[in-house]
Amino acid sequence: MSTVTRRYESQLDSLTETAERIADDGPEWLQEARRLARRVHAEHGVPSTRAEEWKYTSLRRFAETRWSLAARHVATSSLAVPGYVEGAVRIVMVNGRFDHGLSSTDGVEHGVTVRPLQDAIAAGDELVRWHMGQAGPEATQTVDREIRPDVYPLAALNTALFEDGVFIHVAAGSGGDALVEIVHVLADPSETAMALPRTLIIVEKGGRAKFVETYVTEADSPGAVLPVTEVFLGEGAVVEHVRVQDQGPSSTHIALWQTRQHARSEYRSYNVCYGSQLARVDQGIWLGGEGTETRLDGVVCANGEQHIDSHTRLDHAMPNANSFEIYKQIVDDSATVVFNGKIFVHQDAQKTDAKQTNQALLLSPKATIDSKPQLEIFADDVKCTHGATVGQLEDTPMFYMRQRGVPRDAAEAVLVYAFAAEVLELITVDAVRVALETKLYEKLGVDLK
Amino acid sequence: MLEVRDLHASVSEEGTKILKGVNLKVGKGEVHAIMGPNGSGKSTLANVIAGRDTYEVTRGDVLIDGHSILELEPEERSHKGLFLAFQYPVEIPGVSNAYFLRTALNANRKARGQGEMDAIQFLNYIKDKVKLLGLPQEMLSRSVNEGFSGGEKKRNEIFQMAVLEPSLCVLDETDSGLDIDALQTVANGVNALRSPDRSFLVVTHYQRLLNFIVPDFVHVMMDGRLVKSGGKELALELEERGYGWIEAELASKA
Ligand SMILES: Nc1ncnc2c1ncn2[C@@H]1O[C@H](COP(=O)(O)OP(=O)(O)O)[C@@H](O)[C@H]1O
Ligand SMILES: [Mg+2]
Repeated sequence: MSTVTRRYESQLDSLTETAERIADDGPEWLQEARRLARRVHAEHGVPSTRAEEWKYTSLRRFAETRWSLAARHVATSSLAVPGYVEGAVRIVMVNGRFDHGLSSTDGVEHGVTVRPLQDAIAAGDELVRWHMGQAGPEATQTVDREIRPDVYPLAALNTALFEDGVFIHVAAGSGGDALVEIVHVLADPSETAMALPRTLIIVEKGGRAKFVETYVTEADSPGAVLPVTEVFLGEGAVVEHVRVQDQGPSSTHIALWQTRQHARSEYRSYNVCYGSQLARVDQGIWLGGEGTETRLDGVVCANGEQHIDSHTRLDHAMPNANSFEIYKQIVDDSATVVFNGKIFVHQDAQKTDAKQTNQALLLSPKATIDSKPQLEIFADDVKCTHGATVGQLEDTPMFYMRQRGVPRDAAEAVLVYAFAAEVLELITVDAVRVALETKLYEKLGVDLK
Repeated sequence: MLEVRDLHASVSEEGTKILKGVNLKVGKGEVHAIMGPNGSGKSTLANVIAGRDTYEVTRGDVLIDGHSILELEPEERSHKGLFLAFQYPVEIPGVSNAYFLRTALNANRKARGQGEMDAIQFLNYIKDKVKLLGLPQEMLSRSVNEGFSGGEKKRNEIFQMAVLEPSLCVLDETDSGLDIDALQTVANGVNALRSPDRSFLVVTHYQRLLNFIVPDFVHVMMDGRLVKSGGKELALELEERGYGWIEAELASKA
């Protein structure tokens, strides 16, 4: 009935054929997962704007495109791959496939394993089997939403179709706060090329690590990237995770990013979105143990005709957990930015302290922001706050800076940066923070060296 | 240096008239003080000179070295050597003082065809000026004016002035909210900058700053006009007798 009107007639049959072919490869558990994913996708398809979760983001064009998997053979040696820290462990995925030539895993910290996901699966790694697809929220009686994980129909497409990815394992007590850079490159000039990379990260009890995941396109490849990233934090694990979406302005990016935290773990995540024509990131964190600490922050900068949508979901499932969420959104020209921040405080999650702030800065009269906080609380002894503001650059600081000789554009850029800095300055890897700052200035069209 | 001719200005949005015909000439190297009761239009004059678009000039002109500056953007006026020390210095969270000032200095240098300074050259260049204003080093890395005390904010204004080396300095109530020590530091900073090539317009409604920064001329502003001018002794007279007698004088003339 209503499902019919909540989805678009899509042109994904060519992909479905591929999915059918792929579904017979690999171990039985994976075949099973792929079959399930295909069913979910067949049932839900590409959601239309009538679907509540997609109200502000239209996938019509995406649905009408006859997608095919991005090129398998790419002369990768000539690709420009962004890196942050000289000599860091760097994994490069090209069109959704692990690229050995561009990746460098020498010097990886003791206790840390980094390998192509395909290899881990082929080798029968049980960790992959028991974690893949398991990071998402659990359905519970009190918090039983229509947004169950199996209803991320495009993530289901990833499960049905992914060929490769990266698997990172940090053994108990290891990692030493070392940085792993993961770069996803879409390199295919075709407008119908789609890449579906998969990232699985497991940090065991007491492990500590930092990850920077970056999405770019080679020569402004116009296709689509549909990544799924899953992260597991064991008891007391400490992880910083920066996600940078800096794809070219003609591309599409639709992502699912899910994290599961166990007791007393600390997860600091930063979702930075500058790129693509159409972007949607669904980030979910399941706080499945007592005493967890979580940051779920975002910086979005959209201009031109960009449309960037961030959906976040925090599930406080256990007591004594703190979460902080700050989303900073900069919208210029006729760009549109969407923010939806859900916080579910489950029945058992007493003494939850959750704080959500969403601030948008509109730089043009044609810029649009749709913002919706959504707090649902089923426990009685909790502290939950949220606040949303939409503003423009203030006159007085602008005048102050210009009075000191700073030209209007530069003054504007400095103030915009200052607006974003509250989040960007929390990133502890200097090279990453500086790169994101430089990119932001670049995007604002100002050279401030 | 600076010439203000029959300047009329009103609030852009609602049209309230504030300046009603200001005439003033500040020569090279001179120090002029403008005194006057609260609400008489002193800050408005300072802001109009600096190019704040909250105000609309409806008549008259402002010239620097004989050229009208009314069509210039605030940053262009700055590049011409104009500096306004704000009555209420603005806080800019997230932008460090040092970064802001280097950006401003380089923008000025660029506009004047000079090379830009990198971070190290800049730190060298400001070293003495930091000392002059008695600024703690850590103030450079803090966000512009954020969490600064009233005195720190005012010292920071004069510090910026010292770094940018303007030729026309407009100080708006730089003494307000300062204790006597801070006042002395600020005044020392200003006096160190006095030179035959640099002019000052010092706006204040107390006389005490003028004990430290001794003006060549004093003007009284009332209801949007400069109604009386004199030498430094006029400031003392105002301190003793208030503004009432000037009002009376004006009324008797009318
Ligand atoms: N932006 C503004 N909007 C409305 N009224 C203003 C504005 N700026 C100044 N005024 C009014 O103009 C008059 C002069 O203000 P101001 O120039 O600040 O005086 P002063 O600096 O001499 O105390 C006051 O009555 C003040 O309320
Ligand atoms: Mg004033």
